[in-house]
Amino acid sequence: MEQIILRPTAEQRYADELAALARWDQNNPKPENWQLSPRAVRLFILGTPKGQPLELDRKPMAIRKKYYGNDALVERCIITLAGNRGLMLVGEPGTAKTMLSELLSAAISGCSTNTVQGTAGTTEDMIKYSWNYALLLAKGPSREALVPSPLYVGMEKGILTRFEEITRTPAEVQDCLISVLSDKIMNIPELGDQGLIFARPGFNVIGTANTRDKGVNEMSSALKRRFSFETVQPVGDVTLEKQIILDEVGAMAQGAGISIPLDEDAATLLATAYHELRQGISSEGMRLKKPAAVMSTAEAVSVYYQTLMGAWYYGGPDQARHLDERALAENLAGAVAKESREELATIREYFSTIVQKKAEREGGAWKRFYEAGKRLK
Amino acid sequence: METVLRGRQAAEVIPFDYDAPVLYYPVRHHSPVCAWHLERAMERYQPELVLVEGPENANDLISILASPDTKAPVALYYAYRDDAGILRDAELPENELPAENYACYYPFLDQSPELAALRLAERLGIPAQFMDLPYGEILAATQAGAGLRREEAAVSYASDSFLAPELLWKKVCERTGTRDFEEFWERYYESRGLSLSTEEFVRQVNAWCLLARENTPQWEMEADGCLARESHMARCIRKAEQSYGKILVVAGGFHLWGLLHPREELKERPRIPRDSQTVYPVRYSEPAADALSGYASGMPAPAFYRKLWKRLHEEGTNAAEAWDSIVLDTIVRCGRRLRAKGETISAYDEQCALQQARGLAALRNKEAPGLYELQDGVLNAFVKGEANLAGCEPLRLLRDMNTGNQVGDLCRSDLVPPLAQDFARQCKKYRLRQDSADRQEVILEIFSKARHRAESRFLHQSVFLDCGYAKRNKGPDLMRGVGRNLIREHWVCQWSAGVETALVEHAIWGATMAEASTQLLRRRLGEAARAEEGARLLMQGFLMGLGDTADAMAHRLEELLLTDGDFSSLCGACDSINALDAWQEQYGERGSYDYPALLRRCFARILQMLPSMAAVDDRGVEAVQENCRLLYEITARPPFADLRAVFLETLEELIVQTPIHPALHGAALGLLYGGAPGKKGLAVQTAAGYLRGTRDQKLRAAAFLQGLFRTARDLLLVDDVQLSSIDALLCELEDEEFVTLLPQLRLAFSYFTPIETNRLGRQAASLHGKERLEAGNTMISPADYTCWETIDAWAAQRLKQWPLNQDEEGDDQV
Repeated sequence: MEQIILRPTAEQRYADELAALARWDQNNPKPENWQLSPRAVRLFILGTPKGQPLELDRKPMAIRKKYYGNDALVERCIITLAGNRGLMLVGEPGTAKTMLSELLSAAISGCSTNTVQGTAGTTEDMIKYSWNYALLLAKGPSREALVPSPLYVGMEKGILTRFEEITRTPAEVQDCLISVLSDKIMNIPELGDQGLIFARPGFNVIGTANTRDKGVNEMSSALKRRFSFETVQPVGDVTLEKQIILDEVGAMAQGAGISIPLDEDAATLLATAYHELRQGISSEGMRLKKPAAVMSTAEAVSVYYQTLMGAWYYGGPDQARHLDERALAENLAGAVAKESREELATIREYFSTIVQKKAEREGGAWKRFYEAGKRLK
Repeated sequence: METVLRGRQAAEVIPFDYDAPVLYYPVRHHSPVCAWHLERAMERYQPELVLVEGPENANDLISILASPDTKAPVALYYAYRDDAGILRDAELPENELPAENYACYYPFLDQSPELAALRLAERLGIPAQFMDLPYGEILAATQAGAGLRREEAAVSYASDSFLAPELLWKKVCERTGTRDFEEFWERYYESRGLSLSTEEFVRQVNAWCLLARENTPQWEMEADGCLARESHMARCIRKAEQSYGKILVVAGGFHLWGLLHPREELKERPRIPRDSQTVYPVRYSEPAADALSGYASGMPAPAFYRKLWKRLHEEGTNAAEAWDSIVLDTIVRCGRRLRAKGETISAYDEQCALQQARGLAALRNKEAPGLYELQDGVLNAFVKGEANLAGCEPLRLLRDMNTGNQVGDLCRSDLVPPLAQDFARQCKKYRLRQDSADRQEVILEIFSKARHRAESRFLHQSVFLDCGYAKRNKGPDLMRGVGRNLIREHWVCQWSAGVETALVEHAIWGATMAEASTQLLRRRLGEAARAEEGARLLMQGFLMGLGDTADAMAHRLEELLLTDGDFSSLCGACDSINALDAWQEQYGERGSYDYPALLRRCFARILQMLPSMAAVDDRGVEAVQENCRLLYEITARPPFADLRAVFLETLEELIVQTPIHPALHGAALGLLYGGAPGKKGLAVQTAAGYLRGTRDQKLRAAAFLQGLFRTARDLLLVDDVQLSSIDALLCELEDEEFVTLLPQLRLAFSYFTPIETNRLGRQAASLHGKERLEAGNTMISPADYTCWETIDAWAAQRLKQWPLNQDEEGDDQV
């Protein structure tokens, strides 16, 4: 029996779309070792335009749009990966950098799991290679005793290596990428003459980095020069943000076996609140204090999902269809006030000024949201 | 509205047939590829007449535009003065408002199809004409606030607003994966257009324009005057058909359907008086032509597309090569300039940028990279780290480079008004740039170098003639009475298309800058209604080095002094005359007019009115205080020392007036004490009167003290009695009263220096048997400080946006 996993990889989740694109893609030119052509990669991530699905075996096949906000950025990322430099996605936390890097690897190399997960404790071993010490002692340094790490695997197979949260690793560890990225050769002195690994075509590195979070290290200029930087901005449009919340929560809910239509009003409330708190200005032009916490779309998704789960398990389908604004307000406050109690005051202030105005003007869900906000402790 | 296409091909709706007697060619303003195909169409069609969209009252200037010696960018500058009242709102009674002025530009760049058509026609010896309504009639056909009657600083005749209705382009961009209309246009028309045949290109442009027309409501076209213009152009074409066998019509693509199906003209054409509209050729600049600078006059990035246009005309260049080479060229130049600015951009970065641009072009199905691939390439390869405000220098520089800084030139100088010629001569003389649109900074030592003084005068003249060319950032400002201790003037000069038009507008005043300024100064002095205004004009004349004229006109100021009955205006005049008199020597220009006598007369007038100012209200009191101080300062100058006695007498007269505003009362007493120390007793006594008086008098005491300390703060420092009286007052006050008085008390004590405040504090403490005042909790947390600072900055910003009149009205309530 197939084992159920909590979160399938991108290539598993979109296996049918990738297979369809591979068939559609047969005549398009593609860089060596790429599973799909740049054009098909673009389609995979940005989706087919409305009403213009792909024709496959005379059947229409629509590809879902998976990344919103900046199509040109995705195009630039694809072209960068086909070139000589690594791709570095930077930006605020929760702007879907990791998702984009996962989608790019799944589409280009068919594998999004060749990943270094950067932490403050990451060492060079975890990036390049380490040894199976039993074999090392028994047979001496040999290819058999070597345990390849993601960078090694990427070079050897000609696939992408993802380096998550690169700025969390110490700067001196990050720097081990420098010569590999420019020479495309990894030297393993222990193996003697056999110790040179030449990267196969198709190899490249996608890094993601937070620039504003706490606990990050600055990158060296030498390393910066070997990457092309792309800055991922938060979603700037409330309608789009609402759509993302609905799409993401929909997918997660389906995975958890909850199949009910989602509450659009609640998504609007959340998208608006997150957008306004992030920008520090309301849609009516009123200034407000920005919370110190990260107000990303990903956070909004998790607040919605949390509320939905609560309603589903404690209330039942009816409650889950129309989310209780009180639970929404409480979860929102919980998500914002992570670092200090002061943040809670920011949220209360937001409710007592901006939300109150909206409640007076628009009534309905906003009114209930405001009432719920008044009871925040 | 009627459906234009109804499922038919664009070619059926708007035919493009080389054998037809009239060939309609659709253009987009400033589109290089439109122009490139237009040249081909023209060579093949060999027309006998070329009709170009443009107001026909500029027909005489076509030869200048088309001349090989004229260098783009140039523009036609149309001006109209509504003497006949055609544009006036019918509901308003006539003759109440002055005739309004209207003006617009019609810019031409090298790559503008209209200019390309005119130039080629000139080369081939084919007559060319404009065919649109004259400017005044277009205005008459346009509703107020729409089209060319929009209320903007400068309106462009060649506006593209109809070409891209928002709903349409948004849908199209979504489908084609482009960011905005301009990117869509470049990809499908500029880039792909070069590999199409001319017929196919025209068909595609027509298809888009018809779509745009279908998506534009009829009322909008009506309001814009578009329909009236089209029917006039159609009539022009019909008329020309009678004399010419083959006519090429070059018009905005949006209008072609309207030219083929003109609306019958309903109204009679208005009669525009001959002398109320004019048109001049002027030099224009690339920044002004850039759509980003707000004129919406066609395509963005004029310098980028100019380079493309040039490259297309080089022998043996094919289209893809042309695009590719410009992108490469721009990347290299951008990299070089960034290196010069200290950024670390390597040759490899440049390679990567080009590679990115080419790769994107392939991904986007373009033959070669264009403007947007160039921008993406630079963003991707040149920006290291996060692309925030600090990291975007490469993009800023690229935008500047693509906008360009070229300024055009006209072939014949006799059409340039003498005033503009003189301006150019003087610029040359002082080495001020006017051949590029870059900023230039100039520092002038006006008191030590005669040449610098002359240059400063020229720049002042340019300011007086509203050229918008020079701006003084620092230096002694006699007009506002600040920076009088400075010895250098710091100017920033920047040429723009507005300079030329301002000179054209002022050309009637004279042939040289000095002459025009003189005449305008005379006129303004003649029109001035208040003494303050007149005196300021004299001062301006003095700064412009037109002292003689000012002297000759000073008698006009005498008249104004007699007729003006406004106290503040007279004081303003007095201030200006005083500065003029005091600074003449410094500026090396001793006038012939007897300014001291003028000042005395002004002074006398003011003194007559001073006692009546006693009843001034809260809002005006500060100005009166300030004016009293000014008068006092004048009497401190040796030539006017004899006026001191009269002034003090008037002050005495002032202080016995009842009622008198306490703040003015205090200020007057302070000045009296300053002029005659013997009056100290009176001042102290009056202060005590306020302080120990009835409750309503007590409440006025703070205002009195504010006035007193403003003019004589030493009174408190030399007299302990005062201090103890104030102390007594404060002790007697109820909390509520104290809070009411607090703001004015604070103001009163703000005239003291910190050392003095400290000393007073110690003295006050000793009255209560303590060594020093106990400081309150002055510790402020950095967070609070930052918070209040933000609020303060925000409030300041909001106040700036607040219209002045509202500010004043709301003042009292606040």
